[in-house]
Amino acid sequence: MSHSFPEQVLKHLFSFLTSDKDRNSLSLVCKLWYEVERRCRRSVFIGNCYAVSPEILIRRFPEIRSLNLKGKPHFADFNLVPEGWGAYVHPWVAAMSRSYPWLEEIKLKRMVVSDESLELISTSFEHFKVLVLLSCEGFTTDGLAAIASNCRNLRELDLGESEVEDLSSDWLSHFPDSCTSLVSLNISCLGSEISFSDLERLIARSPNLKTLRLSQAVPLEKIPDLLCCASQLVEFGTGAYSSEMRSDISSNLEEAFSGCERLEGLSGFWDVVPAYLPAVYPVCSRLISLNLSYATIQNPDLDKLISQCHNLQRLWVLDYIEDTGLQLVAASCKDLQELRVFPSDPFGPEPNVLLTEQGLVAVSDGCPKLQTVLYFCRQMTNAALVTIARNRPNMIRFRLCILEPRTPDYLTLEPLDAGFGAIVEQCKELRRLSLSGLLTDRVFEYIGTHAKKLEMLSVAFAGDSDLGLHHVLSGCESLRKLEIRDCPFGDEALLANAAKLETMRSLWMSSCSVSFGACKLLSQKMPRLNIEVIDEMGPPDERPESCPVNKLYIYRTVAGPRFDMPGYVRIMNEEAAP
Amino acid sequence: MAVVKPEMKSYIWLQTADGSIQQVEEEVAMFCPMICREVLQTGMGSSKNYAISLPQRVNPAILGLILDYCRFHQVPGRSNKERKTFDEKFIRLDTKKLCELTSAADSLQLRPLVDLTSRALARMIEGKTPEEIRETFHLPDDLTEEEKLEPLRNMTDDPRIRLLNRLYARKRKELKEREKLKNVEVEEEQHVDERSVDDLLSFINGADEGKLETYLTSYIYCAELLYFLHEPDCPTSSCLNGDTGNVPSPSKPSELQDSAYVKFSPKLDFDDGDIDDELDPAMKEEIDREVEDFARRLNSVWPERMQEILSLGQERRPVSLSVNGNGSLKRYTGLDGR
Repeated sequence: MSHSFPEQVLKHLFSFLTSDKDRNSLSLVCKLWYEVERRCRRSVFIGNCYAVSPEILIRRFPEIRSLNLKGKPHFADFNLVPEGWGAYVHPWVAAMSRSYPWLEEIKLKRMVVSDESLELISTSFEHFKVLVLLSCEGFTTDGLAAIASNCRNLRELDLGESEVEDLSSDWLSHFPDSCTSLVSLNISCLGSEISFSDLERLIARSPNLKTLRLSQAVPLEKIPDLLCCASQLVEFGTGAYSSEMRSDISSNLEEAFSGCERLEGLSGFWDVVPAYLPAVYPVCSRLISLNLSYATIQNPDLDKLISQCHNLQRLWVLDYIEDTGLQLVAASCKDLQELRVFPSDPFGPEPNVLLTEQGLVAVSDGCPKLQTVLYFCRQMTNAALVTIARNRPNMIRFRLCILEPRTPDYLTLEPLDAGFGAIVEQCKELRRLSLSGLLTDRVFEYIGTHAKKLEMLSVAFAGDSDLGLHHVLSGCESLRKLEIRDCPFGDEALLANAAKLETMRSLWMSSCSVSFGACKLLSQKMPRLNIEVIDEMGPPDERPESCPVNKLYIYRTVAGPRFDMPGYVRIMNEEAAP
Repeated sequence: MAVVKPEMKSYIWLQTADGSIQQVEEEVAMFCPMICREVLQTGMGSSKNYAISLPQRVNPAILGLILDYCRFHQVPGRSNKERKTFDEKFIRLDTKKLCELTSAADSLQLRPLVDLTSRALARMIEGKTPEEIRETFHLPDDLTEEEKLEPLRNMTDDPRIRLLNRLYARKRKELKEREKLKNVEVEEEQHVDERSVDDLLSFINGADEGKLETYLTSYIYCAELLYFLHEPDCPTSSCLNGDTGNVPSPSKPSELQDSAYVKFSPKLDFDDGDIDDELDPAMKEEIDREVEDFARRLNSVWPERMQEILSLGQERRPVSLSVNGNGSLKRYTGLDGR
């Protein structure tokens, strides 16, 4: 190196580069930088827990303080990944307990976490501060009690949307009186009772608490007391927002909310009684984030609430908002960056609300900063999509879910190829896209041609032939995650683009036409991929090789085949070994 | 402001690794912790003969810069804004200087300057690829492929995909040429054409049949080439002869367009001029159907090809493909994660 740095200077320089991307780039510059970087890396993100092993992680990065780990593929959210598939965190926790005594943070998504793991975490890491469990499962409130008891410096406990078995309501009492370090507490996923006195005391002795998301079990009446001890809150999630109408609750609530001068985000609102909504009006103008995805409020109450939120950047809401409500959003919320509209009745045969493509068009027109969209609806047109694309070339994440598969443009009865084509062509920074509606191979041609920055693509009930898959695999240069269900994609495109798979994190294909024989072939050619054939109907050997496999999960890995899978998962590599 | 007579000012004597010695105002030099310590602990620096030896990483030019920094910052009365403005101007240096400065400041334990220059360097590194970083800092590319563990280069570099793209592009060009010619012919013959529609159709048919075969051949050739580039030991002769005996002739008398890489402009208008497709919509519909036909035919041809390829040493059993085999029509249930 023409400018030679002593190692500590290089380390100090590296300490100013914290993003995963930059750290990865640093490590690939040259041998010296690789060595220095790996020894001072503090934080690691592993997008697929089976892509690497705990041993490899520990060997390479001895100084990790924060680990972010993801397990099951995204389609697990739709119950497409059967029970017992894998993603156990315990091997990681066990290995780290031996090698990372200074570990401070563990953030998990879609992983199986046991009480044993939680206990081990609570006793192995003296400086443990942050535990985030998003969409996880496998643990009970006993595990939480261990965390509460033993983690002296706990700052963040976020249970996300995890499935927790409630064994006892008093786990909160396990936080010692000396614990005053809490900054963030999210227990919104818990189902059953909790002890209010424990909760109140905990909140009262946590002066740094910024985020508090309560569970449904916390009634409305309790909120004023809680908020009084925590008026410094920045994000607040209510419990059930209902009560027998008592006038003093209303005024107490309003006073309590007004007292929270730093409040920027609201969520919760289960079982809303609209009469109590005015209590939050005083804070509306300060709100940046509003999550009403569990709130069954309808217009005009919903309208009145949202029209006051002029600084809103993030809105999650049920389709009760309807087109009229979204037009109001377009007029009132000029800073809106993210909109998610969830279906109130996804399985009903008829639409129950007046939410159409017009609502989304209105928001795309009125909100210049809109870049993230998740929109469930029942009808769409190419014209609307083209308009949206033209309005919002700054779109980054666009997920459209037309509830009924293969729904065409309802005005022209044509496929929605042109509409999505417009999206990928106009929105040059698009990183995530979910398709729905009637789609032919042509939409994939558009995607392969234009979506050069696309990192994640979700496809269901679309396409006509392998040409579709071939377009995506050969054209989308930045593609990292591809998940497909119920599409007529078979062997050819997959085999022809086998090399592409090593440049991606993972590929999921379920109810497609990939044959068992092709899976075998692929595994022989690509030793650095794990080819998982998931078939609950029994071992695929018992059927002819030409038979399509039920579910296929392919991911690159340096850890080789895994051995913790259930009987219905077959890792093809094992057979490939001579 | 008090006037300080020059002879009353104190100086510290510093010597850099190249032997040159200079004197620096005391308050400026003492701003560097390392120098400060030397002066206080060893008493050195008070005269030319007892100049403090600075660490090797501090050369005279860099020392000059460091002293500029110290001279400014050691003045107590300055506001934060003034200091910030100075710093911003100060770090406008080339990479080499910044690196030397960081190194030198570190050896003199001048932490604030180390942080300042490091941050500037970090900003230069942010967002860059490894290659770009290497270039900026003149670093060797000495990691092996295995060490990098970056699986494969970008797909557009892949020779197989490039070959396929080139072939498609060539086909597309050929077909456009043909279309132009056809239009010209039609115009010329407008007034004197006495051939029946059937004659014309069969003329076009015949021309296309051959083209279709050649096109299919070249497509299959490509696809096989893709495959063969995985298997360099497979003999290429028998499979690449373009034996397209099983391919039926096209049923529609239309131009075959290699739709794969042609941009179809949708029925609705775009403002930007990216779409360069000049064919009329009616023809495009035909072409769509041709593409679908073709894809189906490809599906039916592949099994034979696969058998040939595979029988050359890999699998015993042929892989026959089920076309359009689709599983259950599960409804798109479930909500995306909140």
